[in-house]
Amino acid sequence: MRIWMIVRLALGGLRRTPLRVVLTSLGVTIASGAIVSMVGFALGLQAQAEAPFEKLGLLNNIEVTPKGLEFAHHPHDPDDAPPPDDAPAPDDAPAPDDAPALDDAAMERMEAIPGVVLTYPDFRATGIKLIHGERREGATAIGFPREASLLGFVRDMLVAGDFFSVSDAPEVILSEQLARKVGFESPEKALGAIVTLEATGLSPEEAETFRFERKELKVKVVGVYSVPRMGPRMVSSSVVLPVELMKQIPGIQFTPALASLRAGRTAAGAGYQRVTVRVRHPSDLASVEQKIRDMGFKTRTLLSQLEEMRTFFVFIDVLLASVGTVALVVAALGIINTLLMSVLERFQEIGIYKAIGASDGDLVVLFLTEAGIIGLLGGLGGLALGRAVSWILELAVNAYARGQGVTFHLDLFAFPVWLLAGAVAFAVVVSVLAGVYPAVRAARVDPIRALRRE
Amino acid sequence: MHCASGAETLIETRDLAREYRVGSSTVRALDGLDLTVRRGEFLAVVGVSGSGKSTLLHLLGGLDTPTSGSVRVEGRDLASFRKSERTIYRRTMVGFVFQSYYLVSSMTAEENVALALTFQGTFGETRRSKAAEAIRRVGLERRADHRPNQLSGGEQQRVAIARAIVHTPPLLLADEPTGNLDRATAGEMMSLVRRIHEELGTTVVMVTHDEETASRAADRMVRLRDGRLVDAGASTP
Repeated sequence: MRIWMIVRLALGGLRRTPLRVVLTSLGVTIASGAIVSMVGFALGLQAQAEAPFEKLGLLNNIEVTPKGLEFAHHPHDPDDAPPPDDAPAPDDAPAPDDAPALDDAAMERMEAIPGVVLTYPDFRATGIKLIHGERREGATAIGFPREASLLGFVRDMLVAGDFFSVSDAPEVILSEQLARKVGFESPEKALGAIVTLEATGLSPEEAETFRFERKELKVKVVGVYSVPRMGPRMVSSSVVLPVELMKQIPGIQFTPALASLRAGRTAAGAGYQRVTVRVRHPSDLASVEQKIRDMGFKTRTLLSQLEEMRTFFVFIDVLLASVGTVALVVAALGIINTLLMSVLERFQEIGIYKAIGASDGDLVVLFLTEAGIIGLLGGLGGLALGRAVSWILELAVNAYARGQGVTFHLDLFAFPVWLLAGAVAFAVVVSVLAGVYPAVRAARVDPIRALRRE
Repeated sequence: MHCASGAETLIETRDLAREYRVGSSTVRALDGLDLTVRRGEFLAVVGVSGSGKSTLLHLLGGLDTPTSGSVRVEGRDLASFRKSERTIYRRTMVGFVFQSYYLVSSMTAEENVALALTFQGTFGETRRSKAAEAIRRVGLERRADHRPNQLSGGEQQRVAIARAIVHTPPLLLADEPTGNLDRATAGEMMSLVRRIHEELGTTVVMVTHDEETASRAADRMVRLRDGRLVDAGASTP
């Protein structure tokens, strides 16, 4: 109540010199506008960089690889000579005997870890030919479990059709780009079509030998997906197959089988080269990752790579915010100046306040409030200014980008609520700090001297 | 002393002195003043300008502290008060009226009056009704929404008086309240202060150089010269 009256009193004080107050808070406006637009720009860039990760749902994934199996550096090069038996083992390869195989049994154990929603072998086969009619297009086949239809992001990516049905039907999902390349005019036209996938590769046999195999799979297009722009390029010319269909692709098990043989085991017990474990929420990542490591596997998450990128962006944010803060400090000097002038001009009024019962504390609160109001006005103005500047820049950049043939809209800026609220709060706090000295001066006014001036 | 028997003493100053340093020289505004003010009394302090009248008023009101001597109000020495205690004393015990009214120009008459209550921590409906009552008491209810620059000098001084009595302090200190007013208005103002003094039982200490005005309104008149009391006069007729 008392505070509210003092706020009213402060407003009355500010109303007397509107131009001066407006000019002073304009300084704050420019400073906080600069902070908002610059940090908003950095955040916008960061969002652009992170969007593909999040849209593809990669942040919830843990990539699991077996320990100790030395994969050949050129897995598709059969001429790669195995190392001689007496060669020393590579540094990071412990005795292969105690490293567990990344097989179906291991995957079942991982799936039982709380927080895990999905586990599937990470199959990826390059050099696949997609055949539709007369057209043949090179593609990469990616395995995805049929159960993944339950995950929201999977459906979000589909532009036509549906995800795999829960059956054994040979089905495929094409990327929009690939669908166009093999002659479908629109994603919808591709639905229901039967296309052929031709794959060649080396399949392990009973003895420690491999057999060259060529296979043709007839699959039905059930869906077409589109990847977010700036996403991994490879994903845009891919076909997605159910995991069990991927297992039939020749050569898919070549690398782990070869590695297993090198380690002195059988090709059949090789397990998978890589398994993806998906957790329900990124917060589950750490605990699940630790449990999988305890099982004796190597893990890697995209989140950890993303963290590095984020650290970089935090640095950029801080740098840009510091530049804005310099401007705010200059604005704060303006506030000090304005309020000191106000104290001098209202010398007598301050004396009256004291004579009719104001305490020193009341006067401190009064002037800090005036400073805070200037800061608040300036901060709110800064939001408007920051948004206006970013809007104009975005229009200009997009106009230029369209001229250069960019078809999509670039969102250069991001303005999360915390940035907007934080910028206003920061402006208010700095302004109130600037008000401290004038407020103390006001409190020190000697009422006798103030009232003797006639 | 000159204290009438039977009446309770409200203020008593003993050997009160106040010096100011002006450059290298020292000015003695008050020089060993002994004064007693009874509760419910209307006292006029007259003297030419520079006689120390305003200094006395500031000391009685706790705005200033004496160089030596004491000011006892209800038996307590103001000089021993801490700063915060003096603030509370001003808030609760004293109402000030000045020659130049000293209203806050950005506020209406009623807001000026209510301002005093704000600093005293009175809010809401109580604050509004008390301010309205004080405005009514000085006869300005029709002008309550006007700002000082829309009011005549007499009206502004009425607002100042309303502000000084809104919290019904036991002591009203008036510093040349009629100094800026014409004779007719000054007379009205004196009757107003006199009426308040009688209705509310407020003790009034008024300093003025205008003996005629003072003698008409006050119960008793004392004369100050060079910081000393020269004529501890008895009650005026």
